[in-house]
Amino acid sequence: MAERRRRKRWGETVSADLNVMPLMNLFVVLIPLLLLSAVFVEVSVIEMNQSSSDEHFEPPKDEPLALAIRIHDGSYVVEGNGIQSRTIIRTAALVDSGEPDEKAWKELSRALADIVSAYPGNENVQIVAEETTHYEEIITVMDISRDAGLPQAALVAKRMGAI
Amino acid sequence: MKRRNRRNSRLLRGIAQKSELRMTSMMDILTVLLLFLLKSFVVGGEAINPPPGIELPNSSAESQPEISLIIAIDDESIFLGGERVATIRETVESDDLIIEGLDAKLQSVIEQRDDLASRRGQTEFEDEIVTIQGDRRIEFRVLRKVMYTLNYNGFDNIALAVIKTS
Repeated sequence: MAERRRRKRWGETVSADLNVMPLMNLFVVLIPLLLLSAVFVEVSVIEMNQSSSDEHFEPPKDEPLALAIRIHDGSYVVEGNGIQSRTIIRTAALVDSGEPDEKAWKELSRALADIVSAYPGNENVQIVAEETTHYEEIITVMDISRDAGLPQAALVAKRMGAI
Repeated sequence: MKRRNRRNSRLLRGIAQKSELRMTSMMDILTVLLLFLLKSFVVGGEAINPPPGIELPNSSAESQPEISLIIAIDDESIFLGGERVATIRETVESDDLIIEGLDAKLQSVIEQRDDLASRRGQTEFEDEIVTIQGDRRIEFRVLRKVMYTLNYNGFDNIALAVIKTS
């Protein structure tokens, strides 16, 4: 009787260790695949070679063209010495929503490209922004200028209501 | 039954003796992760890590950031070297082009730099680069005052941090 009780106590046993090997093997395969497909954010910088936030900023004396891009809520205005001022209308709905205004950007890019081809030695441009102009709009205009062949950009402010 | 119980008890003894945790696969995972992280963090300095709450604008600029003094501007505050120096509200409401808190902090940075230079016996040093990490939604009037304050304190080398797009 006692022997039978011992047999019952010594029944089948199950290993209590958790086997994590298959899980680890899965991670070894899954993690490199996920990392390969991931997009890493890369930060770059725009170097300001000449910058002034003062509205009394004067362009260099030897700069005959003094090309400037004025950013308004409803338009971009491209002007300079000896060139016809050109106004590019921006879509109000896109400006308000912050969505890209591809049409206006293309037109601005064409206008700047025309000026660069007419004045090949000029690489400078002043970007005149209103006080409430958003930072990303300024960066966009700087990008368009750089792509058109005007890498040296200066930021100038215009007070609201000023002509 | 008797034979099985004897076998089970032998098995139990075997299992009790061999209870190691195998780390080989875990090491493989960590090695792969480490290599990817090293590849992605190729630039030194804080320029690659904008603080939380700041969404940098996108740009096609390709210049690599350098180790520099960092000014971060989010919706509410202006930070220099991780320390809050001014609020956006105060900056906008003030008529002065110079931001007081930022100006004071820049002065202390200049003093530290001069002190260090004098200890090293240097009389001249290169213009220090300042990187501005601005949220895409900040207004130009804030940026303008920050840049004016930097120029006022002699920091003429300014770089604007952006997210590179292809």
